[in-house]
Amino acid sequence: MHNLGFALEAAWKVLLAGLILGAGLPALFALGVRSLAYGGGAGEGDSERHPIGTAGGYLCFAIVLLGVVLGITFIVASGFGKAISFEHGYPTISTR
Amino acid sequence: MTIHSVTETTVVLVLVIVTALGFDFTNGFHDTANAMATSIATKALRPKVAVLLSGILNLVGAFLSVEVALTVSNAVVKIQNSNGTPKPDLVADGGAALLLIVLAGLVGGIVWNLVTWLLGLPSSSSHALFGGLIGASVAGLGWAGVNWNGDGSKLDGVIGKVILPAVMSPVIAGVVAAAGTWLIYRITAGVAERFTDNGFRWGQIGSASLVSLAHGTNDAQKTMGVITLALIATGDWTDTKNIPLWVKAACAVAIALGTYLGGWRIIRTLGKGLVEISPPQGLAAESASAAVILTSSHLGFALSTTHVVTGSILGSGVGRPGALVRWAVAGRMVAAWLITLPAAAIVGALMWWIGDGIGGLAGAVVIFVLLLAAAASMYLRSRKAPVDHTNVNDDWDARRELADADR
Repeated sequence: MHNLGFALEAAWKVLLAGLILGAGLPALFALGVRSLAYGGGAGEGDSERHPIGTAGGYLCFAIVLLGVVLGITFIVASGFGKAISFEHGYPTISTR
Repeated sequence: MTIHSVTETTVVLVLVIVTALGFDFTNGFHDTANAMATSIATKALRPKVAVLLSGILNLVGAFLSVEVALTVSNAVVKIQNSNGTPKPDLVADGGAALLLIVLAGLVGGIVWNLVTWLLGLPSSSSHALFGGLIGASVAGLGWAGVNWNGDGSKLDGVIGKVILPAVMSPVIAGVVAAAGTWLIYRITAGVAERFTDNGFRWGQIGSASLVSLAHGTNDAQKTMGVITLALIATGDWTDTKNIPLWVKAACAVAIALGTYLGGWRIIRTLGKGLVEISPPQGLAAESASAAVILTSSHLGFALSTTHVVTGSILGSGVGRPGALVRWAVAGRMVAAWLITLPAAAIVGALMWWIGDGIGGLAGAVVIFVLLLAAAASMYLRSRKAPVDHTNVNDDWDARRELADADR
């Protein structure tokens, strides 16, 4: 059952990447929502505005957006026979 | 070869192309739910807007998939060489032998897609296509015509490319979505709903769009590969590095139109039947799906969008304390998944035997007509209890829904 070995090898990588991107980014998004609510004065018991909360909220959304852009780049790049490589620490597009 | 047989083969080729586009169309409406069921259920998008958005993104996605998808059938059946050209003995007669296998396989895939749509069950369109091709290949070439287990050098064959991913991917997606849902609820606990719901609706629309785009790139290219294979078999195309532009355009339009039509019965099951979904759960489910689909196609782990999305939605129900998960509905889905491949294979094999028994152009025409008859009868049946954009979000009444489906 060589296939089972290959599949498990791929599966745990998918799980790991999935948890980081698929659960991490939504969690960050939630943090952004919470931060924005705090900034807009929706905290428990106070209705004061907190600019830092608003700023933090938009920062979270920006990071999430970056993740999404990366996802779209990935789709487009693989469609054109390119791959995204992370070997330099930041994503670069290379020919497969 | 006589002029007569050349013309006959051309007619069969046209039938294959039409049937392949038909499959692509069913692939579209069968899978609208994957991307949009959660957004429709939480009312983040109006039903008609959701299917329009998904259709457009599928169209765009299909055009983005310029990578040659010619070897798509190699994972499961042995009708092609590794460079994408058809096996020589299958085209010795001008391509007729290969065309019949492909046609019978496509019919098997379409019929099963329609049956599961009628029952409102989200089954995998790729499994249906592969099942049909496997059945037709077994009928036409014997058991050795199927690539069961690969050659041991990589993840390959029916086991490696179809069965193992089908078992693992829903679990992975479910775990990711459950973790995401749990985190989101923890993080936003105590925040007023007017802030959360609006924010999460936008997140949901974004993540669902990503799933639609990925679906267009992944699924449309399977049909593109099949049509190009048929064209090469008859000698109408020779380039194994590129796909004719009209094939790409036709497939893109077919899958987009199918998506826009919307498989409302399946949208209803996924959006309302499985879990009562709230916007945060919808966001978690679609994000998990998008992440799992994209990372696994990066790793060459071929999976079905349907399995991933179903796993994610279940996971989003598990991850939210106190959420309602209808395990009976989930059980029906899993049952449908298990029989998708063999059922499509049986139809595919049956069609091959009928087509081969009658022989030639007449055989191909007969199985095409059988397909039309099956499609028409299932469409008429669906009109008895129609589901469309007006009633897709009605409350789920478990007893009535199951009774309707069984009738």
